[in-house]
Amino acid sequence: MEGNKALASTAARDRDLKPPKKPSYNHKRSVWREMKKNYASYLFLLPKLTLFTLFIAFPVVWALVLSFQQYQVNGSFFIGLDNYIAVFQSDAFMEALENTALFTAVTVPFNIISSLVVASLIFPLGKLSQNFFRSAFYLPTVTSMVIIAMVWRWMYNYDFGLFNHILGWFGIEAVNWLGQSSTALWALIIMQCLIPFGVGIIMYLASMGAISNTLYEAATIDGAGAIKKWFYITIPLLKPTTLYLVLLSTIGSFQVFTQIIMMTGGGPDNATETLVHLIYKTGFRDFEFGLAAAQSVVLFLIILVFSVIQFRMLRHDE
Amino acid sequence: MKWVRKSVLSVLSVVLLAGLLAACSNGEEGSVDEDGNWTGTITIWDGPRWPDEDENKYHWLEAKAAEYEEANEGIEIEIVQVPWAEMGDKLGVAIAGQSWPDIAPVDISGSAVSIDHIEQGVVEPLDELYTEDELSDFYDNAVEAYTFNDKLYGIPNSITVHSMLLNLDLFEEAGVEPPADGKWTWDEFVETAEGLTFDRDGDGEIDVHGFSTYILEGYYEAWPLFYKDGGRPLSDDLSEFTFNSPEAVKAIQDVADLKLELGVAPETLGGNDVGGTFQAWANEEQRTVAMEPWATWAIQSAQSAYPTNFMVAEYPVGESGKPVTIGGVGGWIMFGQDSDPKKEAVGEFMKYLSSTDEQYTMATEYGIFPARKSTADMDPYAENPQMARAQEMTKDVVMLPRHPEWKKIDEIIQGKLQVVFNGEKTAQEAMDEAQEQIEDLLSE
Repeated sequence: MEGNKALASTAARDRDLKPPKKPSYNHKRSVWREMKKNYASYLFLLPKLTLFTLFIAFPVVWALVLSFQQYQVNGSFFIGLDNYIAVFQSDAFMEALENTALFTAVTVPFNIISSLVVASLIFPLGKLSQNFFRSAFYLPTVTSMVIIAMVWRWMYNYDFGLFNHILGWFGIEAVNWLGQSSTALWALIIMQCLIPFGVGIIMYLASMGAISNTLYEAATIDGAGAIKKWFYITIPLLKPTTLYLVLLSTIGSFQVFTQIIMMTGGGPDNATETLVHLIYKTGFRDFEFGLAAAQSVVLFLIILVFSVIQFRMLRHDE
Repeated sequence: MKWVRKSVLSVLSVVLLAGLLAACSNGEEGSVDEDGNWTGTITIWDGPRWPDEDENKYHWLEAKAAEYEEANEGIEIEIVQVPWAEMGDKLGVAIAGQSWPDIAPVDISGSAVSIDHIEQGVVEPLDELYTEDELSDFYDNAVEAYTFNDKLYGIPNSITVHSMLLNLDLFEEAGVEPPADGKWTWDEFVETAEGLTFDRDGDGEIDVHGFSTYILEGYYEAWPLFYKDGGRPLSDDLSEFTFNSPEAVKAIQDVADLKLELGVAPETLGGNDVGGTFQAWANEEQRTVAMEPWATWAIQSAQSAYPTNFMVAEYPVGESGKPVTIGGVGGWIMFGQDSDPKKEAVGEFMKYLSSTDEQYTMATEYGIFPARKSTADMDPYAENPQMARAQEMTKDVVMLPRHPEWKKIDEIIQGKLQVVFNGEKTAQEAMDEAQEQIEDLLSE
């Protein structure tokens, strides 16, 4: 025993636990050689890479540069952090941030939970019924938000809208849904919540199909009911999908724009002003592209922070 | 063989990239021939106007371009069709990208082109285009609208005014007499609106309201009513916010109270639904509002697309004792040019589009008031009494303040007005709040 202990301690102390050194070679040369070897593949990538550089990478970098500049048609100039200071001192930005945060805080959980519930209800159905509901719930996703917004604008119409008509059945006085500061943002939130989150339903259905049946069978043998199985098997195993959908939905909600411009224009009195609509106004109405770029960078950072937090909270391995 | 293939692929990639970049670049500046005449392409943007028999709403400009090309060999006119609703945004993007057209129709007061742009040299001055004598044929207020720092930055070709449109069928249904000659005081207007508010089908609910309008950034149909007692948004030197003065606050509250206190306006008064407001007045299937203020285009619409038995009236006169309306001036502006010969050629084409005869055509066919006195002398509305009545109001026109930050100021005021019309705040509270925000902009 003593001998074994000594051997073990010696081995642990003396053993070289560092990973072996990588063989040294000229890295640059290797990459170049690799590119030369597969030049045909790179040539095939070139058109897409060119378009990506021109229309995505370049505008993003340019926006970042622009955010430190005072924009002028005939030559912008650097003004340091002035645009960022203006963003954080702006009441309009803070109001838009508050509205956007409220919109996101309500719509994201509602959309995720509702799509999970709908997917769970559809999943046990026969193939034909499942396909029908899958298509029906996905339909709004392929419909233009402009059209959806126009229909909802009609539904919220004070004189002949659907909602006021329904309120009338119960003798409740009509509401100026989009015209009152107190109701306008909530009207948009309700609209967003009631539009089925098609992508979420499809993703959840696909992920549910990948959960092994043996888990449910074992749970049944152990006496678990449907609700328990849903809470203890389905939901935990759908965590990666939920993480993806939460991120997707949060980013989408922070960038809400079409509904705003189509239904309220940010009013009344900025009650429905959101960040992207404010950025649009700053850029294309006031032509303050430097300030608009700074607002965009701040929005990017906000989304990034939220994404990192959500990623850490919902990570699969925790 | 391998290197040949490689070279060909590389050349193709470069050509593709060059082609892509060339496609994104600005147009050419043309050249000057041996006689000293400029030859090349002039790009003009325009929105849809009145249709011909083929429903082509650009036929007028196409015809003028063809005539001009024929008379000026070597010059080609490229027309870019832009819907009016997109004109502002597209011009804004074009300016930002420095790929602007040579000519575009721009109402210089509060549009895509601002005083900032003039200061930055985006818009060409046109003082050399007309002699003083030629310029005197344009109405003074039209020329003033395009003048900045004593320089002319556009050719005015139309004046628009806002007026009250009265649906005479609803007056008849309610047994109410419209104002004689379309002139009235505020009290008479309120009395008329009360008479026009009635239950059409006897179910105890009000079906027809006397008056309605909307409140929206960039739209000023309701504003002459806020001016009725002498109130104005900014002081004459543009240094102070004055819409919270007693005369302005009283006028704003008076209009809001048409709904809030008197019930002679529908709940949608002060909303932002432009189309819905017009339909309530003009659409034969609705006709639920008897009186609404509109810009000139609505007169044309009520004479064509929505045939309506209507009359044109002035805005009611308040304590100031004078009728007031708000107007706008439309015209052609020339964007920055790199060469004098081209600037000259572009200017000549703009003059060609702005002649007395062309403004007459515009007035009779498109329903806008001419900016030239000589065109007005041709009496384009001899057979259109409603347009003739509205044209008389051009003498009462008050222009909007020309402050560089007007769009932001306007947004704040209109937002606060919406809150007043909702009944969420009084006019005094809302305008005092507006003052806090606007003073910052005025002091910048």
